[in-house]
Amino acid sequence: MNIKRCFTLTRAGIIESLQFRLSTLVVVAGNLLYLVVIYHLWQAIFASVDTDVVNGMTFSDTLIYLVLATALFNFMEMYVVWEIGRRVQSGEIALDLLKPMKYRSFLFWSYSGTAVTQFFFTFLPTFIVVTIVTNGAIPLGWNLLYFVISVVFAVSINYSIDFITGTICLYTESIWGINMMKPVIVLLLSGATIPIAFFPEPFKTIVQYLPFQSIYNAPLSVLLDGNPEPAKLLTTLGIQLFWCVLMNIVSRVFWKISLRQITVNGG
Amino acid sequence: MKRKSLGFYFRIYRKILAQDLKSKMSYRADFIISTIGMIFTNVAGFISFWILFQNFPSINGWGYYEMLFLYGFSLIALTPVQCFFDNNWNLRMRVYSGDFIKYCFRPINLFFYFQSEVFDIKGIGQFLFGLGTLIYSWNMLGLGFSALMLLKMIVFLISASLVMIALQNAAASACFWMQNSFFVLDFINKMKDYAKYPVTIFSSIFRFIFTFVIPIAFIAYYPSLVILRPDEVPLLSWLSPIVALVFFFLSYKLWMFGAMKYNGTGA
Repeated sequence: MNIKRCFTLTRAGIIESLQFRLSTLVVVAGNLLYLVVIYHLWQAIFASVDTDVVNGMTFSDTLIYLVLATALFNFMEMYVVWEIGRRVQSGEIALDLLKPMKYRSFLFWSYSGTAVTQFFFTFLPTFIVVTIVTNGAIPLGWNLLYFVISVVFAVSINYSIDFITGTICLYTESIWGINMMKPVIVLLLSGATIPIAFFPEPFKTIVQYLPFQSIYNAPLSVLLDGNPEPAKLLTTLGIQLFWCVLMNIVSRVFWKISLRQITVNGG
Repeated sequence: MKRKSLGFYFRIYRKILAQDLKSKMSYRADFIISTIGMIFTNVAGFISFWILFQNFPSINGWGYYEMLFLYGFSLIALTPVQCFFDNNWNLRMRVYSGDFIKYCFRPINLFFYFQSEVFDIKGIGQFLFGLGTLIYSWNMLGLGFSALMLLKMIVFLISASLVMIALQNAAASACFWMQNSFFVLDFINKMKDYAKYPVTIFSSIFRFIFTFVIPIAFIAYYPSLVILRPDEVPLLSWLSPIVALVFFFLSYKLWMFGAMKYNGTGA
């Protein structure tokens, strides 16, 4: 595949998303308010116990974890499910399938521009603010590099899961319900709602075997660990790579099988 | 124009509702999946509370069952906005495409006619889940039961719903003044998720904001205190029906003001 083609789509996406500055502002305002809410909530929660450390997490650990999970969510969420669902309902999907590019990559690259702007306008500022506010709770060293690698895997896994969910829309022709379920399940099982460290036992183990924890829990635990043991780091990244490849294959195969399902009205 | 009586509006609503339900029935799979999605979301909220209270005894003096009570209360209070006012989500598209003009030519109340067009049946799943949670926590707390309590409950549930309806109306009416107002509605929609926390966990500035500016504290916290902690009911709780009516009236006026300003897309 021609790489230039892909970056043209990215560029178009960046330009498009820069058109809606006011909406970015509203999103940032919403995020700030969310930060305030979880800050107070977890402060109240931690105030109810005598110890500072619960399940190996302090208040500031929890806060960093949740805040950055939200920031990651904002930049990774591409609303792919909506897009596929809408296109299926309106029939425009037929045009997309005619494009000289695989639909899966076309969709990814056309949304990548938004992800890039989101990264610079929401994730990076949040990250910097959190680093300053928590005053050194985030170790700054090689872990940043590992974090970036981990995030790349996470983006890929997240996109594959999105694409699989979107493919389900071909069968159900219902978007709303599936769209409602997807983020809730992903956020809960990936530890973005409540850090996985707090999960009671059988659930903790089960969740470790699911792909979702590779999306938020893995990058964040890599980031928060200043001196990782090489074995532990490699396991985390290895598991991510495994899910990355597996979900990629599953989403491609599932899409291919499901294409036969598409019914477009008229024409 | 002669004012139509309430009975007239009631009759007309029944007729529109019947038509809407008939058209919905042709998408049975969509209804089932959406209901499952709704219940999933609520169950996820339930699970997050459960996980939290596996690790912590209370949140700012609020125990597990009291938090569940707030959660159940907020779910029920949020049902009417989901069932009866869901068309607000389409307002932006109607205004943008120019279809909105059709509502202006009917000899009935514009706001009523617009909202009556969609009845969202999905809200019923949420209502049942909320009711179950409420009854369960009510039982576990041993609050007792009397006819007066039931009456109070109904009055305060209605006023809580009115607050959320008011918020959504106001947010939806933003589309009369700005393009791409989806984010305003989405912002308010996210805010409603914070209604299930007691407002006392916030610092005084945010307590003020959540009480008077974005009054989400009136969706669950203030009204449920009347039942939950009858010995220490603050004045704001008793005032919540009046506050709700005022907010609703203001939002209605704002919505209508925007609608009157609307002059089509031309052609």
